[in-house]
Amino acid sequence: MLASPSQTNSASSRATSVNANFVEFTDVFADLAAFTPAANSVYIYGTTPEARSAHSAAWEAKSSGVSFVRQVSHERWSAVFDAPAGPTNLELRNATSLSQFWAQFGGRTTYLDITGLGHHVWAPLLRTASRTIDDLRVVYVEPVDYSRSDAPTEGEIFDLSEKIGGIAPIPGFASLSMIPGDDFHLVVLLGFEGTRFSYLLENVQPPGGQVTPIVGVPGFKPQYPFYAYQGNKSPLLDSQAWKTVRYVTANCPFSAYSLLEAIADSTKLPLKIAPIGTKPHSLGAVLYAIRMGASVELVYDHPIRTARRTVGSSRALVYRVSALLTRNLNAP
Amino acid sequence: MHSATTGFLLSDVPSRTPEHPSTEAQLSQLFGSYKAEWLSEQLFDLFTEPEYWPELTTNRPCMLEGGRGTGKTTVLRVLSYEGQYAVMGRGRESVRNLPFVGLYSRVDTNRVRAFSGPEVTPGVWTKIFAHYLNLSMVLQCLVFAEWYQLRAGDSPLLTASACDEIALTLNLREADTQAELLSGVRQALLTLESQVNNIGETLPDGLSMQKAPVDVLVGHLATAIPRTPFFFLFDEYENFDEYQQRVVNTLIKHSGDTYSFKIGVREMGLRTRSTLNSDEQLVSPADYVRISIAEKLHGDDFRSFAARVCDSRLALIETSDGTGTTSINALLPELSEDAEAELLGGRGLVEAALSDRASALTAQELDAFRAHRLRDQLTVVQWTDYHNEPLDPAVREMLAGSPTWRHRSNNYGYALLFTLRRGRGQGGTQKYYSGWDVLASMAAGNIRYVLELVEQSVLLHLRSGAVYPSPVDPATQTRAAQAVGRKNLTELEGLSVHGAQLTRLVLGLGRIFELFARAPLGHTPEINEFELGDARDGDGDDLEARETSDLLRSAVMHLALLRNPATKLSLSPSDTRDFDYRLHPIFSAAFGFSHRGKRKMQLSDAEVMGLVKSPRTTLPEIVKRHRGAEISNASEPLPDQLRLFESYFRER
Repeated sequence: MLASPSQTNSASSRATSVNANFVEFTDVFADLAAFTPAANSVYIYGTTPEARSAHSAAWEAKSSGVSFVRQVSHERWSAVFDAPAGPTNLELRNATSLSQFWAQFGGRTTYLDITGLGHHVWAPLLRTASRTIDDLRVVYVEPVDYSRSDAPTEGEIFDLSEKIGGIAPIPGFASLSMIPGDDFHLVVLLGFEGTRFSYLLENVQPPGGQVTPIVGVPGFKPQYPFYAYQGNKSPLLDSQAWKTVRYVTANCPFSAYSLLEAIADSTKLPLKIAPIGTKPHSLGAVLYAIRMGASVELVYDHPIRTARRTVGSSRALVYRVSALLTRNLNAP
Repeated sequence: MHSATTGFLLSDVPSRTPEHPSTEAQLSQLFGSYKAEWLSEQLFDLFTEPEYWPELTTNRPCMLEGGRGTGKTTVLRVLSYEGQYAVMGRGRESVRNLPFVGLYSRVDTNRVRAFSGPEVTPGVWTKIFAHYLNLSMVLQCLVFAEWYQLRAGDSPLLTASACDEIALTLNLREADTQAELLSGVRQALLTLESQVNNIGETLPDGLSMQKAPVDVLVGHLATAIPRTPFFFLFDEYENFDEYQQRVVNTLIKHSGDTYSFKIGVREMGLRTRSTLNSDEQLVSPADYVRISIAEKLHGDDFRSFAARVCDSRLALIETSDGTGTTSINALLPELSEDAEAELLGGRGLVEAALSDRASALTAQELDAFRAHRLRDQLTVVQWTDYHNEPLDPAVREMLAGSPTWRHRSNNYGYALLFTLRRGRGQGGTQKYYSGWDVLASMAAGNIRYVLELVEQSVLLHLRSGAVYPSPVDPATQTRAAQAVGRKNLTELEGLSVHGAQLTRLVLGLGRIFELFARAPLGHTPEINEFELGDARDGDGDDLEARETSDLLRSAVMHLALLRNPATKLSLSPSDTRDFDYRLHPIFSAAFGFSHRGKRKMQLSDAEVMGLVKSPRTTLPEIVKRHRGAEISNASEPLPDQLRLFESYFRER
């Protein structure tokens, strides 16, 4: 099981909502201006029309000796980054291509800001970074709020996704070796969009009683867990999965990781994990999938995001993932 | 607890005790677990053979075609060796006497989508996918062989030389035993997984020749278990990409004596009939038997099958006082049109009209008129009122046996039931949906819908204080039908990548048919179908027609719409213009239109897409074109059960 690290860090502040067991892994900056990337580090990020992905420019302006590497474009299986050596096209399933990308930053502290990057981009980067980067920190900026739908139904309180792209493997995370059949347990890290949960249930078709939804508690905001229930009411009722809901801190990937371990331990079944909730939870799921390999299958629906799905920028969280990845990946 | 009146289906009733579950808990277990994957082993115990079952058990390849919830998965799972073992009593002899060996697998989107992308050519993907298919099918056979050995207490089915031969065909290391071969295949899948996850870096090597390992393996198994054909059961065939279907179609085309294929696929889910050989197509009936559930099970056949399914489940309910079982017909009594007209206030409408407008009718004539069916009386009263005609002569014509009035009553009598409560506010039942025949008809061949309707009807009934197995009253059945319709409408969005569009299409069509139902006189009554107008020439029409075609295809696949050939001659399954489209009757109670498939209107491609993209302008235009100023979206209140979707219909 994942245990608290003994290391300390010099974060400017601590958030009470970060699980106390894992507080040492996370630096929390209530004021975005308080954060400055470490000198001589590398900062990889993407931008979207959302206000909260604009912080990188401010941080770049006040940093010195930091290489900021921006995602220029992306497709389902590839992404282009504006690297120091020029535009770099990354084939997201090509380990050599990804490793070469990371190799140019070897030895430097590297930040991977997942706020403005899609799962299909940051997850394969994370997968390969763990082999090359000694000190990898994942950055996430919480929004002040989410955009509300003009036409809300049970599954649509918030206007977060235009449509569902469809279930397909996240590059590098295709799972072919799990024995096909009924013997698996589905874990769904819930967000606010019940439609996505319904879509997953319809497509994954978990056996009766083998679904564990996870709700972020405490949420980014105190009211968010209630929104999660409101948005997911219909599939929670229909699948009866409301009986098995588990809670874990919304902005703590390590807590999510730890809970996944606990669920796997208790069900004794291979897990299919659907990271459709908060990005920190998704980060926990991806870290867990990297660690567990063939016994875990990530299931993702690739939503097409609404252009301005969030409002403002709240706190910045910096997760020190290298210690976790290195220790567990090297575990016997 | 959740109430249907607040829009949620009743479910999850706590058991009284684990040993003596309440009637509600038993009901939810027997009827609420209407998805095959939820039932686990109980699925086999509750299985009722459909009429088409014998066709599936022959050696011929079959395509079992039907919408979501029509029972494809249940049937395929019962065809599996685990299903046959359970059906035959789960004894050692059951293993030895299996009539066939069905190997079930669901086409998993998350896996098959891994075999695409720009890193390699389509030809290479085809070879990689064919290898994956070989490994998966061989794995299924080997898992069965282990199962057989364990259950039958026999020696392994495969000899050392057979294992070695199979390993060779898969380019695996030598294998002397079944267990070694199984381990090798699992290892090969792991290797393939790694190669696909790094597809841009290296090309997979050691790929096997399509079909060869399966031929060899099944050949050996058939020797070990003679006269027992093997069926590969592929469920949700629509999840394969087109090129992947071509690969499997090739296997189906060339399946031999020892093994065959039974495919479960949604209507319109067979994307291609091509094989890998450009000169060969998969043709029915030469290459496979097409079993359309909708064609095999409709009307009386479906009602009879569904009643058997329900009655067999009702028979398992044990009441604490031992009041015994009931039948679905007794549990869900029907409501005649006249009785429904009474409940909806039709008698009062007739009497008010007679009082206001019948100036010269004698007492005898009045008595004779009142002795007629209430439906006939309403037709005369409402028709004359709408056409501004005097009532007395009409009544006398009707009493004289005028065929005109008989015809009008037949034509409009049922349709008038939708108008009796028009404009009376939104409280109370506007139209009843009651009786086993009506509810089965609303399910339109979909056994999952039947189970939902029955479960919700009885649960609401019990929650109102009634005792099982007393009959469920019409109002309760209606509320259950509304709740089930609304639930399925809400769920549409989560069914596919077109989900949001489908929801909007159903909302638009449902509202139009509801408004038409409220004003039938002077128009064609009971419209709940449409056909596409001729594709127009001109800028952008091709694109629009393609867009409409894609939407309608998805709507049929996900049961938003039903389709029927427009004429017996026009049967190109892929041409959306050759069909009439009917809004699925499971939505009829939620909106308030006729559950019966009756009459159609014409819509253009632009109107169909307009209901999805710009409903607030398109919907009123369509209603106006058909009903003029008689009725409009703005003038008619939304039914209570649709308030949640109000923003779709109304300007904010």
